[in-house]
Amino acid sequence: MPKLNKFRIQIQTGSEGIEEPARFCFNSHVLPLEELSGGTKPGETLEGGYDVNSVAHSMTLVGPEKGTWSLQKIKVDFECENTPPYSVEYPAVELGETTELNIWKDPPLPTFDV
Amino acid sequence: MRLDKIKYFEIHVDSRVKEAILNIITKFKNMFSSEDVVAEEPAQNNVADDITKISSEPVEENNPFPEPEPVVRRVIRVPEVADDIFPPVDGNKVLIKAQPSATSDQCLFMLNRPLFSGHSWWFPDFESAEGSLLAERLFSLEDVESVLVNEATVTITRKDKNMFDWKPLGSEVGTALRELLEERGELISEKIISEMPSQDEIQEGIQKAINEEVNPGVAGHGGLITLEHIKGNTITIKMGGGCQGCSSADLTLKQGVHSSFRKFVPQVGAIFDETDHAAGLNPYF
Repeated sequence: MPKLNKFRIQIQTGSEGIEEPARFCFNSHVLPLEELSGGTKPGETLEGGYDVNSVAHSMTLVGPEKGTWSLQKIKVDFECENTPPYSVEYPAVELGETTELNIWKDPPLPTFDV
Repeated sequence: MRLDKIKYFEIHVDSRVKEAILNIITKFKNMFSSEDVVAEEPAQNNVADDITKISSEPVEENNPFPEPEPVVRRVIRVPEVADDIFPPVDGNKVLIKAQPSATSDQCLFMLNRPLFSGHSWWFPDFESAEGSLLAERLFSLEDVESVLVNEATVTITRKDKNMFDWKPLGSEVGTALRELLEERGELISEKIISEMPSQDEIQEGIQKAINEEVNPGVAGHGGLITLEHIKGNTITIKMGGGCQGCSSADLTLKQGVHSSFRKFVPQVGAIFDETDHAAGLNPYF
């Protein structure tokens, strides 16, 4: 399990947005995103992040408490300890009151050309 | 000191509290005295009784603001948007990337063209490579223990588990793969291809292995293995119950599940575990 120093996330909202703050769940702890810019209304892009500084077991984007949040595109930039920064992109998905989206990915194994 | 001389309490507490305290003191004194000290008869509604009554009542009835039940959310997993690992190339240039495993005992070689379309095959030793040029050539290299061919990838396990640098052997593997692809020989033996059972037969055999050997074996630890999907002779399983998140899951997979599957269906190729060991309501780390 790597130590995640911090991450930044870009969330492009599709046709259905939310009024409430965007939250993520790190190792079963629900937290609000920090250093926010943009919004979560239809067509808007929200950018935020968090200085986690903890070993990552799981991380999810939590669905709204009321209604539906349609996500057009999600991009997460990870900065883990002892590994180069890496990014992960997820396609369109819809979150509801009883769902959350996995956004954690272990650092990729290094490769070399042969 | 006589108990009825204790006036101090009368000033500060009401009679019911005094009775309760006197009873406690009496019991305490009786523990260390041969003579019984008689206390006043407790009143019917003493404080201790009141406290018992309060504490035994259900909390919900007294709590005007009960906490809502925590929402257990379902985790959605969508495959990430993956970029092509190889840039577009002109002509017939063979591109190969090597990716050593985290434990460095294996290395995955990814090519920009298929080696065994639609199927996979595991060569556990040199003898099993007979007739398959790809495996024969790779086994001729020093330090190759086993070879797994799956579509456009080759996974090599090395004999020397203390060697962590894959670059020298990786370079030799790359050269061998390029030469083989240029020679256009029979990479995988015709016998293997012609004797390959149908997907339904493989599925039936694997399910039998799970029901009769694998699951009874892991049930003692609360584990459960399920066949997730099958493509050709490539198997993907999911580990649930006590196996999910277990630190020994990889060992169970490699030493238990693999050998059991191959015993029931010798033609099984690659076996993947699609379990998210960090998910679930109670993962064990």
